[in-house]
Amino acid sequence: MRIAIAFSLAIVASVGLIAQQKPRPDLSGTWTNATITPLERPQGVTDLVLSEDAATRMERNIVARRDKLNEPSDPNRPAPPQGGDGSTGAAGNVGGYNNFWLDPGDRVAVVDGQRRSSLIIDPPDGHVPALTAEARARQGARLKLAAGRGQYDHPEYRPLAERCLLSFGPTTPLVPNYFYNNNIQIVQTPDHVMILMEMVHDARIVRIGGTHLPKHIRPWMGDSIGRWEGETLVVDTTNFPPQQNFRGSSENLHVIERFRRADARTINYRFTVDDPTTFTAPFTGEIPFRAIDELIYEYACHEGNYALSNVLSGARNEEKRLGTKQEK
Amino acid sequence: MRKTVAAIIVLAGLAIASRTVLAHHAFGAEFDPNAPIRLQGKVVRLEWVNPHTWIHIEVIKDGKPEEWMVEGGTPNTLLRRGITKDTLAYGTEVIVDGYQTKDHSLKRANGRDITFTDGRKLFMGSSGTGAPRDGSDPTEGGTKPVPKKPGGR
Repeated sequence: MRIAIAFSLAIVASVGLIAQQKPRPDLSGTWTNATITPLERPQGVTDLVLSEDAATRMERNIVARRDKLNEPSDPNRPAPPQGGDGSTGAAGNVGGYNNFWLDPGDRVAVVDGQRRSSLIIDPPDGHVPALTAEARARQGARLKLAAGRGQYDHPEYRPLAERCLLSFGPTTPLVPNYFYNNNIQIVQTPDHVMILMEMVHDARIVRIGGTHLPKHIRPWMGDSIGRWEGETLVVDTTNFPPQQNFRGSSENLHVIERFRRADARTINYRFTVDDPTTFTAPFTGEIPFRAIDELIYEYACHEGNYALSNVLSGARNEEKRLGTKQEK
Repeated sequence: MRKTVAAIIVLAGLAIASRTVLAHHAFGAEFDPNAPIRLQGKVVRLEWVNPHTWIHIEVIKDGKPEEWMVEGGTPNTLLRRGITKDTLAYGTEVIVDGYQTKDHSLKRANGRDITFTDGRKLFMGSSGTGAPRDGSDPTEGGTKPVPKKPGGR
């Protein structure tokens, strides 16, 4: 009997050792998270899963739209309208630039064989939960501060992206920006995983194991530590700086990401965002990362950033014209 | 069924809305909506840089040459289509419409629409979406990008 127990224990120990030595799944490579599936489910759509017909129509629509925008223009066209062309968003009334520079993706997100209507899967309605009263007050205070000090009065008052300091979307979680360069390089060692986003050369280094930095140390992209749960890499990120925010989040933002190889050319990426001082509930999304057969390109944002000086010198010009500059 | 159709229409509309031009900065803060311009001239220099490409063109005004800088998008998307700095030869004549910078002492504008003199859009000589190809769609076209490396292993 005693021998039998000892033998059984030896088997259990051996299996455990083999499990320990089993190589981790390799997440290394270059990937894209580009998709036409929006973060939040559009109004009027109730189901997370789209029919094949709906997904195909969405994708065809994107291609048709792109082809239309790339058609030749009238060579005798005049200058655009005085007073602006009515465009909105970042193209703010001056029209931005041609469509051929863009690359927002042309496919619906497919996760575990399901074509998705939104990246958010929880809450079940596919929407970011409502902001807390505290978060709404904080946003109001931010806007008031920006307006009061003059948003064009100092380079450091300009947004982080315009200053080429951080990505044009959030660095964590890795949601697509829906316009271009949605590419990610992952380099993996036993001790660290590096996640590089093409825009703006944001390299996040995840320590495997260990604990978070003290609360007063707040790196630009937060502090990421990882662990393996079976075949899944789980990355836990806290210690975000106040300048970073994801949809109005605070320094209390806590993001948990799960990277799982779905097949040879796909990572299923799942993220959960929690910030009780900002959102009335946590929320979770899923995005497929598809392997690409290319290197990603250096972004080198500072190299040609004429925009920042153009914006500031434009404001000085407006002040001269209007005579509104207050001496300080 | 009615719900499904409605969902398709909503999503198709959203797909279009997602094409709104975005950038790393607000174009409205940089360019003056009250200073529309139309330029025609020869390409004399290309700054194939991020966050935005700048195309320099020489415009003849009152018999004298003026150099204007025209802002475009990221070159990275074009590089992935095999389009490089050498694709647009110096001396090529182009037409640009856009708005001048708010600082009028600068001869700079956004390339709201930049075309050859026959109206064709620049860089549209090759087929393909520009999206990185992952090999799952054998019908994907486009010119081969220059650097190659195995993707996710």
